[in-house]
Amino acid sequence: MFPDPGSLGNKNSSSLMLCSLLSTSELEMKYGTSIDKGLSSARAAEILARDGPNALTPPKATPEIVKFLKQMIGGFSILLWIGAGFSWISFGIHNYKEASRSHQLYLGVVLALVVILTGIFAYYQEAKSTNIMASFSKMIPQVRATVDNSSLTGESEPQSRSCDFTHENPLETRNIAFYSTTCVEGTATGIVINTGDRTIIGRIASLASGVGNEKTPIAIEIEHFVYLVAGVAISIGVLFFIISVSMRYKILDSIIFLIGIIVANVPEGLLATVTVSLSLTAKRMAKKNCLVKNLEAVETLGSTSIICSDKTGTLTQNRMTVAHLWFDNQIYSADTSEDQTTQPFDQSSPTWTALSKIVTLCNRAEFRPGQENLPIMKRVVVGDASETALLKFSEVILGDVMSIRAQNRKVAEIPFNSTNKFQLSIHETDDPQDKRFLLVMKGAPERILERCSTIMINGKEEPLDSEKAEAFQTAYMELGGMGERVLGFCHLYLPENEFPETFQFDTDSMNFPTSNLCFVGLLSMIDPPRSTVPDAVSKCRSAGIKVIMVTGDHPITAKAIAKSVGIISATSETVEDIAKRLNIPVEQVNRREATAAVVNGMELKDMSSEQLDEILRNHTEIVFARTSPQQKLIIVEGCQRQGAVVAVTGDGVNDSPALKKADIGIAMGIAGSDAAKNAADMVLLDDNFASIVTGVEEGRLIFDNLKKTIAYTLTKNIAELCPFLIYIIASIPMPIGTITILFIDLGTDIIPSVALAYEKAESDIMNRRPRNKRRDRLVNQQLAVYSYLQIGIMQSVGAFVTYFTVYAEQGFLPSTLLGVRVNWENNAINDFEDSYGQQWTHYQRMYLQWTGYTAFFVSITIQQVADLIIRKTRRNSIFRQGLFRNKVIWVGIFSQIGIALILTYGLGHVTALNFTPLR
Amino acid sequence: MAKETQKPFRQSMAEWRQFIYNPNSGEFLGRTAKSWGLILLFYLVFYGFLAALFTFTMWVMLQTLSNDIPKYRDRISSPGLMISPKPDTALEFYFNKSDSQSYAEYVTTLQNFLESYNDSKQSQNIDCARGKIFEQSEAAVKKACRFNLSDLGLCSGKEDPNFGYSKGTPCVLVKMNRIIGLKPEGEPQIQCTPKEEGMVSINYFPRDGAMDLMYFPYYGKSLHAHYLQPLVAVQLAIAPNATKEEITIECKIHGSPNLKNQDDRDKFLGRIAFKVMMSE
Repeated sequence: MFPDPGSLGNKNSSSLMLCSLLSTSELEMKYGTSIDKGLSSARAAEILARDGPNALTPPKATPEIVKFLKQMIGGFSILLWIGAGFSWISFGIHNYKEASRSHQLYLGVVLALVVILTGIFAYYQEAKSTNIMASFSKMIPQVRATVDNSSLTGESEPQSRSCDFTHENPLETRNIAFYSTTCVEGTATGIVINTGDRTIIGRIASLASGVGNEKTPIAIEIEHFVYLVAGVAISIGVLFFIISVSMRYKILDSIIFLIGIIVANVPEGLLATVTVSLSLTAKRMAKKNCLVKNLEAVETLGSTSIICSDKTGTLTQNRMTVAHLWFDNQIYSADTSEDQTTQPFDQSSPTWTALSKIVTLCNRAEFRPGQENLPIMKRVVVGDASETALLKFSEVILGDVMSIRAQNRKVAEIPFNSTNKFQLSIHETDDPQDKRFLLVMKGAPERILERCSTIMINGKEEPLDSEKAEAFQTAYMELGGMGERVLGFCHLYLPENEFPETFQFDTDSMNFPTSNLCFVGLLSMIDPPRSTVPDAVSKCRSAGIKVIMVTGDHPITAKAIAKSVGIISATSETVEDIAKRLNIPVEQVNRREATAAVVNGMELKDMSSEQLDEILRNHTEIVFARTSPQQKLIIVEGCQRQGAVVAVTGDGVNDSPALKKADIGIAMGIAGSDAAKNAADMVLLDDNFASIVTGVEEGRLIFDNLKKTIAYTLTKNIAELCPFLIYIIASIPMPIGTITILFIDLGTDIIPSVALAYEKAESDIMNRRPRNKRRDRLVNQQLAVYSYLQIGIMQSVGAFVTYFTVYAEQGFLPSTLLGVRVNWENNAINDFEDSYGQQWTHYQRMYLQWTGYTAFFVSITIQQVADLIIRKTRRNSIFRQGLFRNKVIWVGIFSQIGIALILTYGLGHVTALNFTPLR
Repeated sequence: MAKETQKPFRQSMAEWRQFIYNPNSGEFLGRTAKSWGLILLFYLVFYGFLAALFTFTMWVMLQTLSNDIPKYRDRISSPGLMISPKPDTALEFYFNKSDSQSYAEYVTTLQNFLESYNDSKQSQNIDCARGKIFEQSEAAVKKACRFNLSDLGLCSGKEDPNFGYSKGTPCVLVKMNRIIGLKPEGEPQIQCTPKEEGMVSINYFPRDGAMDLMYFPYYGKSLHAHYLQPLVAVQLAIAPNATKEEITIECKIHGSPNLKNQDDRDKFLGRIAFKVMMSE
């Protein structure tokens, strides 16, 4: 269904390839345009007419009316429609034959109303929750400058663009820029070679919509449940249809029994309740920064067993931060938390004073004005990532950096470029006595070291001998090994005699020394993990969820972050680690011993799916580094082959196939592209991995609570069904009417069953394994048996005691009721004798029968109150769970009693509803 | 994406057979004999207990009831009217006055119904004071008032064993439903009106269709064993021009403010309508 993502760049992009090979003039020829003038407006209009506007075709949405109709016939609705149909048919026949049987008509109307109303309700709930629509950004034509391709390829570093053809894959070559990418720096002119759906992103978007939407686990569970209940309803219905026909009931009567049995068996209110519970949870999750687009995704998150997480922004803070320093032959570590206000490391050494001055001065980044009241870490900076990190670092330690820079006026500057790999500036000093200029320089450590002849130790310049150079190397390797980006810093006070105050520095000819400088120290930076992530990862771990990191970053960096957040735990080793420890070649290591694995995207490319499966099976801690977003899809598919429910995070457009493919796609709210948000089921508003974990918790809770709701709802079905069965077999007066049943299902029971969604977690639900989607069903045998055969039977017994009591107290002792049905219901018998010799008219008997309905109804309602309290807990004792922790339950109980009172006493005189006031 | 691979039929059959009886583990329908036994035992005990509980609560409930009168009588505050004979189908009489077979059923029903009103059956009954309620709530044994069959005159069956059916003057007995403790006020009487004018003339026995108050109140089957409810016989003299016509007759109880006869929902409360069609 989905083509091998690796071929994406090659397949059907021959025109792109061709374009990347052609020279500018050839391109002009091919597209009939000119670099300077562009297309003539006539030609432009012609192309527009041919290709349509430069916009992506929105994914094919299901028409609203179809969605609505689906709600109308989905689930139990079809059963109820059948019931309504039968009612009308029987009404029609009756009407033709003997008239005045409007009861059947009412029943049909009520059933149809029930279906339509619950359908509208479910449709409304669904519609409310989906409102993030695609809006793709403007076209950036094919420019030649530095572009940020992150939304397309996931590369976090900006890519330079030039006129050179560098790679045959259009995604790699440097002379093409893409739709939806942004130009971060520089200017360029380009020729538009493709628009709309024919752009790379257009193709990806169409691939994403090609990946089918899988059924969510909860949808499968509910379907299973519907089949189960419908199966029970139909088989009991048909069984009793046959029984009643063979007991010589009229066919029409038997059909009415069939309707009664179906109505009694179908929990009409349940699907609406489930929708409400899910949307309540969705609301709760939105408060915790998980915006759920598809209601059912709420539960999917709870059954997640593998999370494939991005690194940048999700696990990390998405900003470079100074993590370590090396000066005076010693490594210091810096605070990398989100809200640092001071730095705790030792700042007494004069070397630090010198280093801090270089860090402050040799830096072009500046704060945007007007943010003085914001915490330093939150301020917006103009400048690249590393400079921003350094600026904030020095602002935290030294205070007002801008005034320090003002006191040390800058006289000359060479900005960083990729050939020099250093940045240099020359300043006046803030000491008015000292007329020397200070030259400061930072850059790639090895390049900086090359230019130095001395090194500062404890404030004194000492010659840079091989021993000190060795120390430098060790520190550099160590910092680099932690996946950090290392910068070297050096300075030189220019001699006053050679460079007087009036000296004109010329940065082109470099009329100043750039060697024999004094090396001061190293600073290393990293995009540090969010402080909440390690805790969240360990929560996942105890919840049996495997966290896999999938990143485009360098393996070393990826591994370092994975270790620091606990994705790779402290004790586990990769194959390479074991090889290094035992000092043996990698090939000889027993792969089973390694619990962790860091897989490079290049390795992944050559792997067969069996090999990938093996990795996914054998290693508990996996990091995929240097992966392209397309490989993400392969990883997701691999995980799904293991039978896992996979959650995937992503932000780029290229992630959208993987997001679609995943059981639950999670897009980043801040960094995410619209395409990703569109493909995802859930949006993380704060891009924070920890929010996923709260989502998982909520998802598991809702599954538990839905179980309770269903158990609660199913129980009374038996108490509604038994009357019919006994009515048919023992021929007693009808104990409960179909409409009364609907009043229980859709009246008294609705609010309590929603209230169960507010139930708190019983045990620590984050300490158990994710549910196995094949074994741990929403409705399993135990639940059905417990509800139907145990509590349900008890309820029926209770309700029948009430029923017999009502009749006995009015004069019909239980023994006289058996076998009485035909005469009881005979319209022409108006002197029906009771146990005390009194005689009843038909209407008086019916009125008594409705009193019986009402009593049966009240009995079930009250027993449902007790059932509600039983269902509050499944494992804990009711006292441990607390009777009053879930206040909504009490709202439910009072509403239940209130509705019952209104129905019995308020509506006692509406004949159609068959309620009578009770004594 | 769980791709359902279609299992070969033979394999799924084998799985079913395995499920029904697994010879290796001795499992029948997924459970061993012991497990099934325990489950059966559990449900036996559980349902046994429930049945006992049901029986016990029913017994307790029945203990609270009196043998003589029902606990509540609020669902029958006003009596319904009924006729005898009651035709099988609906309240419609069809007969041919010259064909005794056509009305034999009505005659037998009337004879059977009036059996209990025979003087020989009423030996224990007393003659009560006419025209007033026969209050006897103090008495341990409630006496029943005598109902003289002769009060029914031509419809008593004594003079005309065919109750007038052979003469085109059929008799229909109207009775009021028994309700324990009901004491009609005023002077209740049955009045019947044909829907169509001039087709039938109506005679009442006793005179004016009166129901004597001495037959009230009723004390219930067990206390008031020989009680006979008062009857009003309605003799319909069908006009010769009205044969083969369907005549609708509605009888109502009048003259008693506490006996309803105009309820919207209950068409039999204090009234009854029936149809007669006679042919020759």
